[in-house]
Amino acid sequence: MAEILLDVQEVSCRFPMPGRTVLRAVDGVSFQIRRGEVFGLVGESGSGKSTLARCIMNLCRPSAGKIFYQGIDIWDKKQFRENRKRLQTARQIIFQDSTSSLNQRMKAADIIAEPMVIHGVTPPRGSWRAEAAFQLHYVGLDASYLDKYPPELSGGMRQRVAIARALSMEPEFLVADEPVSSLDVSIQAQILNLFRHLQEEHGFTFLFIAHDLPVIRYLCDRVAVMYRGKIVELAPAETLFADPRHSYTRALLASVPLPDPRRERARKPVEFGEFSTAGTLRELAPEHFVLTEGCG
Amino acid sequence: MDDRFAWAGPPPAEVPPEPPKRIPLEIPWISWFVLAVLLLGCLCPVLPKDPAYMDLAHTSLPPSRAFWFGTDAMGRDIFSMIWYGGRISLFTGFAAAAVSTLAGIVFGAASGFAPRWADALLMRLTEILLSIPGLLLILLLQGTLGKPNVVSLSLVIGATGWTGIAKVVRTEVLRLRESGFVAAAQCMGGGFFHILRRHLAPNLLPSILFMVVMNVRSAILTESTLSFLGLGLPLEVISWGSMLSLAETALLSGAWWMILIPGGFLTAALLCVTSIGSGLRRWLNREQSNL
Repeated sequence: MAEILLDVQEVSCRFPMPGRTVLRAVDGVSFQIRRGEVFGLVGESGSGKSTLARCIMNLCRPSAGKIFYQGIDIWDKKQFRENRKRLQTARQIIFQDSTSSLNQRMKAADIIAEPMVIHGVTPPRGSWRAEAAFQLHYVGLDASYLDKYPPELSGGMRQRVAIARALSMEPEFLVADEPVSSLDVSIQAQILNLFRHLQEEHGFTFLFIAHDLPVIRYLCDRVAVMYRGKIVELAPAETLFADPRHSYTRALLASVPLPDPRRERARKPVEFGEFSTAGTLRELAPEHFVLTEGCG
Repeated sequence: MDDRFAWAGPPPAEVPPEPPKRIPLEIPWISWFVLAVLLLGCLCPVLPKDPAYMDLAHTSLPPSRAFWFGTDAMGRDIFSMIWYGGRISLFTGFAAAAVSTLAGIVFGAASGFAPRWADALLMRLTEILLSIPGLLLILLLQGTLGKPNVVSLSLVIGATGWTGIAKVVRTEVLRLRESGFVAAAQCMGGGFFHILRRHLAPNLLPSILFMVVMNVRSAILTESTLSFLGLGLPLEVISWGSMLSLAETALLSGAWWMILIPGGFLTAALLCVTSIGSGLRRWLNREQSNL
C-alpha cells in the first residue's frame, strides 16, 4: 500500500456562537490520504468540509485532534517551525472563489510568481515573468494574459490563474476547495480535465472538496461523505456509488438528477430529514467505512 | 512530458515585455504645475541673494527692482527667503506625512491582525492619543526631544498625525484579512510584512491616499502654526511659518508684503496639495468602479 501522506486524527473544530452555544463545524474526523491518490470530500453546505481544509492548511486551528503531514505534526509549533519551508511549498490550496482569492491589484504574472518570490526560488526559466508564462501556458492560457488584472479575466480564466499559482511551487499535495463550484458547466469540464491531466502527469496527491457528486465520481479514487461535521461514510469511489450504506449517503446519491427527464419526473422526491450521526466509523467491507451505531 | 499537453500547443518561445504603466487622464494639471514650480524653485540652488544676510541699510523696503518681494524688518531679501524657506516648509510637510503614513499603516495593520484583546488595547490607546489636543502633544514631544530642528519637528508632527490613518487601515485590514488572497498568501508562507506590502497596502491605498495627501497639507500648516507662534523652528531657520511670525509687527507698520507674500505662497501650496488629493481620490474611485 502506498505511503500515507496526510493523517488526520480525531480532528474537531468548534466555534463559540452567541448565546453560549458551540458550533461543531468539524467533529472528531479521522482519515488518511495516501500518496498519489485523489481523495474526495463531499457533503452539503455547512457540513465542515472547508473548515477541515483550513485546518489541514494551517489556516484554522483545530480545537482537538492532530494532523500529520508525512509524520510532521503541523499544529505543533516546534515541528511546524522546523519544517516550515517544506510544509509551505509542498502543500498548496485552490480556493472556491477565485474572485476573492486573487488580489485584484496584481497582474496575473505577479500572482503566479508570488509563491516563488516569497520563497526566493531562483527562476529556472530565466525570470519570474517567463516562469509565470510557462505556468500559464500549462493551464491553457497564453502569454497575452500575463498583464491582465483578475477583474479583466473570466471566472474560468481566474480559476486557471489560481491553479497556476498553486502549481508554480510544484507541490506534492494540493487541496482543492470546491474549485469548480463557481464555474459554469463547460468550464467545469475544462478545469476537471486539467486536474486529471495534472494528476496523471505529476502524480499529485489531491484533497478534492466538492458538493457535486458526478464531479467526485469522475475524479476521485476514494471518497468521504461528510454530514454535520462527521464523516459518515468512506469508501473507494466506485464502491460508494454502487453500494452506499449510510442513510445520508443514500439520500445524497438519490438526489442527483437523472439525465432522462421522463424518468426524473417519475421518481419519488428524496426525503431529506435528520440523519443519525451517532456511532463510530466501522469497516463493514474491505476499505469501506460506515458510521454505525452499536455493534453493527 | 509535454505530449499530453498537445492541446495547449507549444509553450511560448518569447514572453512579451511588460507594457508601460497607464497615466491617469483626469488630473488637476494646474495644481500639479504650480506645485512643480514651487518645488523646483525651492530646490533651485541659485538664489539672487543670501537669504540669511541681514542688510541693515535696507530694512522693511517694499517690493522694488533690487528686492523683488521687498525686505523684512531685519533687511533680509524676501524673494530669496521664500524659496529657501519653502524648502523647509515643504520638506517638513512631506516628511511628516511620510512618518505618519508609515506609522498609521503599520499600527493599523498590526491592530487589524492582532487577537481581539490586543486590538482593543491598541485602539483604546489611539483614542487616548486622539483625545489630547494635537498642539499640546506636539509641544510635549518636542520638549522631550530638545531644541527643535527640521528633522525632529517633522518626526513630532508625523508622530501626532497617524491616528486617523491607523483607524481607517484597521477597518480595511479587518475586511481584507477575511479575503481569500490573504489566506492564500499565508498558505504560501508570506510573513506579516510581505502581506502588508504586496496585498494590504495596494488595496488600502485608495482609501487612505486622500488622507495621506491631506496629512501633507496639515503638516505644512502645523509647521507654520508652530513657527508663527514661535514654538517651532527658531527664528534664524527660515521657513514660511517663521517668516509669518514677523507678521504681527508688519501689520502695525503697514508692511503688507511681509504678510501677503509668504502667506500667498503657503496658501498656494496648500491649495495645490488639496486639489491634487481630491483629484487622486476621484481617479482611484473611478478606476475601482471600472474594475
